[in-house]
Amino acid sequence: MKKTSVILLLLTLVGLLGASCTKKESIKGKTLNLAVSSQVKGMDPIYASDRYSSNEVARIYEGLLEYHYLKRPYTLVPNLAESMPEVSADGFTYTFKIKKGVIFQDDPAFPEGKGRELIAEDFVYSIKRLADPKLQGLGWWLLDEKILGLNEWRKKYTELPTVDYAEEVEGLKALDRYTLQFKLAKPFPQFLYALAMPFTFAVSKEVVAKYGNEFLNHPVGTGPFAIKDGVFTQTKKITYVKNPTFREKKYPCEASAKFEKEGLLADCGKKLPLVDRVVVNIIEEDQPRWLNFQKGKVEYVSVPKDNFDTVIPDAKNLSPEYRTKGIDLMVSPSLDVTYTAFNHDLKLFKDNVKLRQAMSLVYDVDTSNKLFYNNQAIPAQSVVPPGIAGHIENYVNPYRGNGKPEQLEQAKKLLAEAGYPEGKGLPEITYDCPSNTVSRQIGEYFKKQMAKIGIVVKVIQNPWPELQKKITTRNVMAYGIAWGADYPDAENFLQLLYGPNKAPGANGSGYDNPEMNRLFKVAAVMQDSPERTALYEKMNRIAAEEVPWIYGVHRQSFVLRHSWLKNFVSSDFDAGIAQYLNIDKNLKAEMLKKL
Amino acid sequence: MAANEQESKSLWHHAWDSLISDRTTVIAMSIVLIYSVVALLSTTGLIVSDWSKEVGPSYAPPSSEFLFGLDIFGRSVFAKTIKATEIAMSVGLVTGVLTVLIGVTLGSLAGYYGGKVDEVLVWFYTTVSSVPGIMLLISIAFIVGKGILAVYLSLGLTSWTGLFRLIRGEFIRHKDREYVQAATAIGGGDFRKIFKHILPNVFHIVIINFSLQFQFAIKSEVILSYLGLGVQGVPSWGTMINDAKLELARGNWWQLAAATAAMMVVVLAFNILGDSLRDALDPKLKGK
Amino acid sequence: MSLTSYVLRRLFYVIPVILGVCFLIFMIFNVVSPDPTISMLGKHATKAQVLELREALGLNEPLYVQYFDIVKSAFTFDFGRSWSTKQEIFEMIKQGAIPSMTITFPAFFLSFLISVSISLFVAFYRGTFLDKATVFVCVALMSISSLVYILVGQWFFAFKLGLFEISGYEEGFPEVVPYVLLPIIIIIILGVGPDVRFYRTVMLDEIYQDYVRTARSKGLSERKIMFKHVLKNAMVSIITYVVLRIPFLILGSLLIESFFGIPGLGGITLKAVNSSDFPVIKAMAVLSAIATIVFNVITDVLYVVVDPRVKLN
Repeated sequence: MKKTSVILLLLTLVGLLGASCTKKESIKGKTLNLAVSSQVKGMDPIYASDRYSSNEVARIYEGLLEYHYLKRPYTLVPNLAESMPEVSADGFTYTFKIKKGVIFQDDPAFPEGKGRELIAEDFVYSIKRLADPKLQGLGWWLLDEKILGLNEWRKKYTELPTVDYAEEVEGLKALDRYTLQFKLAKPFPQFLYALAMPFTFAVSKEVVAKYGNEFLNHPVGTGPFAIKDGVFTQTKKITYVKNPTFREKKYPCEASAKFEKEGLLADCGKKLPLVDRVVVNIIEEDQPRWLNFQKGKVEYVSVPKDNFDTVIPDAKNLSPEYRTKGIDLMVSPSLDVTYTAFNHDLKLFKDNVKLRQAMSLVYDVDTSNKLFYNNQAIPAQSVVPPGIAGHIENYVNPYRGNGKPEQLEQAKKLLAEAGYPEGKGLPEITYDCPSNTVSRQIGEYFKKQMAKIGIVVKVIQNPWPELQKKITTRNVMAYGIAWGADYPDAENFLQLLYGPNKAPGANGSGYDNPEMNRLFKVAAVMQDSPERTALYEKMNRIAAEEVPWIYGVHRQSFVLRHSWLKNFVSSDFDAGIAQYLNIDKNLKAEMLKKL
Repeated sequence: MAANEQESKSLWHHAWDSLISDRTTVIAMSIVLIYSVVALLSTTGLIVSDWSKEVGPSYAPPSSEFLFGLDIFGRSVFAKTIKATEIAMSVGLVTGVLTVLIGVTLGSLAGYYGGKVDEVLVWFYTTVSSVPGIMLLISIAFIVGKGILAVYLSLGLTSWTGLFRLIRGEFIRHKDREYVQAATAIGGGDFRKIFKHILPNVFHIVIINFSLQFQFAIKSEVILSYLGLGVQGVPSWGTMINDAKLELARGNWWQLAAATAAMMVVVLAFNILGDSLRDALDPKLKGK
Repeated sequence: MSLTSYVLRRLFYVIPVILGVCFLIFMIFNVVSPDPTISMLGKHATKAQVLELREALGLNEPLYVQYFDIVKSAFTFDFGRSWSTKQEIFEMIKQGAIPSMTITFPAFFLSFLISVSISLFVAFYRGTFLDKATVFVCVALMSISSLVYILVGQWFFAFKLGLFEISGYEEGFPEVVPYVLLPIIIIIILGVGPDVRFYRTVMLDEIYQDYVRTARSKGLSERKIMFKHVLKNAMVSIITYVVLRIPFLILGSLLIESFFGIPGLGGITLKAVNSSDFPVIKAMAVLSAIATIVFNVITDVLYVVVDPRVKLN
């Protein structure tokens, strides 16, 4: 026994020595090290429903359109499409020309292992895959009832044992090798956004056929990067290499004035991608992610809420300690809204707008901003965030509480008018939230706020699926949650309050207001126009005064990056951004010594 | 019968004497006692009933004014730490008792009777212990809902298996020994043999296990909090330590330190107490 | 009864236990836990889609059919694919087991050696200050929450002092070493306290047995008594204690894996339970049941081999 223990100890020592020796990497070219905070599911575009998976998918696959990397407000530009589509006068038919000479990455699925050219038919195939009833693609909601004949096609094959992709769908046709035509079943002005989402990215039918169920681990796209060794494995580290057959795609030479001034056009005209390898580290806990960033193991990281004070003592500026290390802080608004929703199935809330208003007034959003968002978020006056049409600049919601004493008085008055003077007669209100630390603290804060006018709140934490279940089965009273934009259009936010979208749809609160519903129905099918914006604003105002939820904030995203990372801008739609990022290797070597 | 009672009385008497003669044990007992009193006082609201009051700025570091500093809401970490004693002690006690009740009853029945009884109980034990603990923990929270009850039950109902196995093993070892055979010879019933004869001989295992369980439960509360299954609405050392996973990297160590220290002292005391009890109660060691 | 037939009979036991495990899992997850379809479909779930997906996953079947399916997959080992990641479950387990064991096995062996050595040491010096001090330190170490070790270890030793990698995992030796050292050390620290306490108790039990007194009266040296008699006899309990832990080694350590970014089975189980990923839960439960039974049998056999007083039945 003694001998074995000596051997084991020796092995450990050898290991320790090895550890100090293997630290130096000898990889040529530029490597981009990223950290993401959640497990990545497979690499199949039709299942890329969460941001993390869709970002990974978008390193390999591409779609017809993309968001311009350096323009704000968000602007769609062609990616695999040759140009923006031709839209018929009635707005129902969209005709795309796709780029010639784009080829799929090499893979054994193709003859002789050489990737073939992308054709219009590939999009027809890929979008049918999203609609395939046997595959249960998670992005089907995007096109549900939108494309002529597609729902019928889906319905037909739900019953049959196999799905026939050869059967033509009226609204989804390849007119020739490079021409693709969509016919919509109803006006759907957000259609083009759908084509920039990874759900509709182009896959190749040969690859799907070859790998079958394992397709999700064999991503073969047309994009800037390919997965290393051609196989995705479920680990905590995903490595991509530059796609050698990537087409001539150039770094943009135009940018919004702000970005231009920041020098983001330095790489103008260079062939993409700018780095040779991308290594994605999945780090689920905040502490290791943050510490790894500080050590320079990853190039940028979003700031965990609680690290804020060390990083940014006077809110807007970075602490000197970080500045000397070359760490930069980037603040940018994100298209989202946090809120506390009431369950409008309950008579208590549904029929009592004064109760809702009282609760909203007593909720001090400014202090919550200070506690949870370091005073950097924008208190939400209503549902639509700034940066998209429909948000009303300088509008102040009369029921938006921010801790003023007169608001407390007004809240007390409203509560009395609602029939519950000083909270008497009100049942205990449960507040459900996800079970992470920050959500729990936000819940405790809510409880404290309501106590100011005598309303008793009980905070209940739930694992995420359980919370979702409780919301969809209407088993909640009030709950704290947030919504992030799928695409930059107010429709995506206002639909949260559209009656027919009731749970299990997106309208979890079950708010149902005939006037809102009527306006939404009209606006949702209108093309972008001043008239539509006016309607959006009108709804936004109703949503403010009716207090269907207690609005929280529109968050800002805070990203810290190292000096050697070039071209980074933060985006709500960050699928595909890795191709634009660049690394200054010399600077990195120099700065790493300081960390 | 009478002689027997006499003897067992003196056993416990003797144990008590040896316990209080050891200084470390006395200190450990005092600590447990102090924690229990603190827990009782805070349960009845006599102390730290205002723990949730905001007393200063968010995340104020420890100072002469704020002994252990303040948390995110400007609440006193000291008051929270004291308040959390209540949860810790009750979790330890309830799950300890649950574990002993289930583990000893099932373990002694299985070990003593053997045969069909043993088969059924071992089947049950094996089934429960072979499902990964995390699944049971989470599912109990699904069933009884979040809160202190879920903490008691999920810890109590999942941790009896270790004791079951030990007790059963001991009973198998003991039931054929001479003293049990002697008891059979003089016509002792099963119940009597289990509880009067064999159990005292394996009781040090129960004691050790109870003390282990007590501290295990207190520590497990941290893990339950990490999983989001901890107690709600009142502070616990688990939630305090969990908050630190966001706080530590920014240098806020006081909440972590206070909860860890408070927990360590009582867990340590329980461990020492368990050891001393074992030394005092083990019949085999008595004659040395 | 011969050892072989005993072992076979005990292994046969897998069947009723798996039935029991399947029933337990079925009750917990098909009956009381949240509907997995809602979290799978995410924020855009509609009523029609939920229904469609429930149908596709077989959740609309009568309960007995669902139970039968679970039992069938448990015995055919055909667990299918994860509902949430769509990965082949067999592959997931294969890929996860290695990283888990890379951490737990070295930690297990090292902590076994360390604990047995320390407990022999303290049993030898029983009653002295050295004994008390060592036990005190061991117990003090185990009185701190594992989460505290992880948080502080990662922050102080990996980040501040730069002794280890902060988190992550590399395949292959020796690349993996800097990533797993800290987790292994933490597991050893966590294990030594309870182990030493237990082993010491067991050894002291043996020291006061009659046969030791006999040996001592025969004039054997204390050292010889410790190694020849006490250690040998204490091994029965020690082995029971140790072998039963092996299944948990395979299943990995949940907290360590999430904080240190180890792609092991602990994380897979947790994620499956949290997202009601039934097929993965089933697979992990059945795997765990089989491992537990196999190692239970091994313990029982070792009992017999080491301690002839125990009879098989």
